Amino acid sequence: MTGQTTGMEIELRRSEVRFGSFQAVQPTDLRIAPGEFFSILGPSGCGKTTLLRLLSGFLDPTAGDVLIGGKSMVGTGPSDRPTALIFQNLALFPLMSVLENVAFGLEMRGWSKVRRRARAMELLETVALTEQAGKLPAQLSGGQKQRVAIARALAVEPAVLLLDEPLSALDLKLRQHMRAELKQIQARTGITFVYITHDQGEALTMSDRIAVMNHGRIVQIGTPDEVYDHPDAAFSATFVGEMNVFDGKVAAGADGFARIDTRLGQFRATNPKRLADGATTLMFVRPERMRLLDAAGVAENRLAAVVQRRDLEGAYSTLTLQAQDQVLTVHLQHLGGADQLAGGGDAGF
Amino acid sequence: MTRLTRAFGRPLALLILLFASLWILGLIAAPQVIMIEQSLWRMERPEGSAEISVRIDGLYNQLDVLALDRSAVEAEADASIRAQKLDTSDVALAALEAEIAGLEATESTPVKVYTLANFAQMGSAHFAIFLKTIVASLAVTAIALAVCYPIAFAVAKLETPQRAGMIMLALVIPYAINELLRIFAWQMILNYNGPVNALLGLFGVEPIPFLESGTGVFVAMVYAYILFMVFPLYNVLETLDSNQIEAARDLGASSWRIHTRVVIPHARPGIAVGCIMTFMLSAGSYAVPYIMTRGTAAPWFTQLIYNRFFEATNWNVGAAYALSLLVICTLFIFVMMRLLKVSLKDIAK
Ligand SMILES: Nc1ncnc2c1ncn2[C@@H]1O[C@H](COP(=O)(O)OP(=O)(O)O)[C@@H](O)[C@H]1O
Ligand SMILES: [Mg+2]
Repeated sequence: MTGQTTGMEIELRRSEVRFGSFQAVQPTDLRIAPGEFFSILGPSGCGKTTLLRLLSGFLDPTAGDVLIGGKSMVGTGPSDRPTALIFQNLALFPLMSVLENVAFGLEMRGWSKVRRRARAMELLETVALTEQAGKLPAQLSGGQKQRVAIARALAVEPAVLLLDEPLSALDLKLRQHMRAELKQIQARTGITFVYITHDQGEALTMSDRIAVMNHGRIVQIGTPDEVYDHPDAAFSATFVGEMNVFDGKVAAGADGFARIDTRLGQFRATNPKRLADGATTLMFVRPERMRLLDAAGVAENRLAAVVQRRDLEGAYSTLTLQAQDQVLTVHLQHLGGADQLAGGGDAGF
Repeated sequence: MTRLTRAFGRPLALLILLFASLWILGLIAAPQVIMIEQSLWRMERPEGSAEISVRIDGLYNQLDVLALDRSAVEAEADASIRAQKLDTSDVALAALEAEIAGLEATESTPVKVYTLANFAQMGSAHFAIFLKTIVASLAVTAIALAVCYPIAFAVAKLETPQRAGMIMLALVIPYAINELLRIFAWQMILNYNGPVNALLGLFGVEPIPFLESGTGVFVAMVYAYILFMVFPLYNVLETLDSNQIEAARDLGASSWRIHTRVVIPHARPGIAVGCIMTFMLSAGSYAVPYIMTRGTAAPWFTQLIYNRFFEATNWNVGAAYALSLLVICTLFIFVMMRLLKVSLKDIAK
């Protein structure tokens, strides 16, 4: 690729967005490193797109500051920011050929027809679409359209690429393929990626870091492992991956661990928030961390439950258990052969 | 036909076909065919009418001679011979008179002759009016487009849907008032001693003869037909995905380029429909020029057509004039479709 660009740093300083009386984005501090693949993960309507529009320049913060590459961007329009945006619906120009679409940004920058065509063909080559250059977007498949959108955004050599749920319209296989391709492009170009998604799988597989967002607020920022293994908010615990939740009370806390009394008995768990004795709390257990035990097994972290259902998912099977009035989910690795499950049993973790 | 039968059953299908053919016949074919037929013939004196009149003259001479002979016979003394001679001469006279009457009837009964001569009837004065009408209608169309495009764009893309609905409603309401009332209102507004001139008078401007100069026709026409421009434009602009505009801006397009490269290409069918309707209505308008000028300015071509029919009572030339206008309008449709690269299918949408 010619004209290699490198990513720029992004910084939000107490940035917030209000629409009338509705606070779409709560005051947010955020720093994204140059060349980082940064995901913002949250449910629909939590303010992800609004946050992205703050970065792309379609929206200015109601309060606070937005910096890209160390420069304040407030008051700078989208066309003058070193960012490029890939829209949720791609927003390809339907009346222009694929080549014209990709060359559009260069055309706007006053490149000659010959130069911009050559450059657009280069970009189409990197996304394996040279054959389709003369076609209209409507004649392409979903994955091809996706790649045209990427090439069109890369053509203007942005320092920051902003992606708004770009894969949500694709089927599962294609989505997984495009994840790899996006990751590759990011590694090759060194551009800072800000990737918005409500799909935790996408966020976990691609990102260097993830911000989990809810109700206009970023509730946790961390690497995929941190977010998955050490969620530090109830929302990120339940939104990222599946969780079994137990109401309880801290019986005794020490050294980052705690004994917790629940209706299903007493359990030992990590205590990241260092809750004091007597505090009411929620205890979370991942379904894949639970096992089925014989009636006589370890004594700790054990509860009695009745197996209600078993659904084979492929690599693992999902068991639905009933423990008193609580429904629990357990993932068991599937090793072939029918696991002989009785109608009842003990579970532990 | 088979598809119709399958969808609606035989009796209903036949009924639909019947209505469709009545529609085509009654609303599309019949008026045109009658106009064309009317324009292609005229009543002429019969062929050889010159010889006939020479012969009639000759016969009248013979009649005179016979009458003279007859009066000579009356001098005859012998009563029986006189009676006999008078009889012969009366018979001859009667025969001659009958022949003359027959020839005269032939001479004065015009015959229907098919000819293109009606189209050649247009003198240079009428042709100038014809051209003026077309040029003025083009100008009305251009002004309406220039006025309506920004309005339609602003309403369709910059307002919330509810507000857009309200604004469009506000635009429609004046059109619920009878067209004649509206034109008369404008006639009064622009009158030599009307409110506009009164207002201008406050600034020391001499009264302007809006109506007499033909400006009034222009203003009233733009006003009368603006709706037929706004609605097609609004409808087509409403279907434009706002993300396309944002994508173009994000890629560095100026507002001007966004319109020339993205919005106008998308709006082409609406522009074509709006221009065609406005042009046809302006070129074919009778009431507006009639009321606004009251004969004080050069007439509109439609007024000429009206005159051919009802004042010169030459329906054939009137039909030829009307047809010429129709041909120009049809031509305009094709030129617009060509210019804007719009197909009939797009327009139907
Ligand atoms: N221009 C706007 N005016 C008013 N409310 C808006 C506007 N844009 C977004 N919102 C509201 O802000 C919230 C967040 O929207 P958005 O950022 O699009 O969510 P997400 O992309 O996470 O699904 C939503 O409740 C939405 O209705
Ligand atoms: Mg969104």
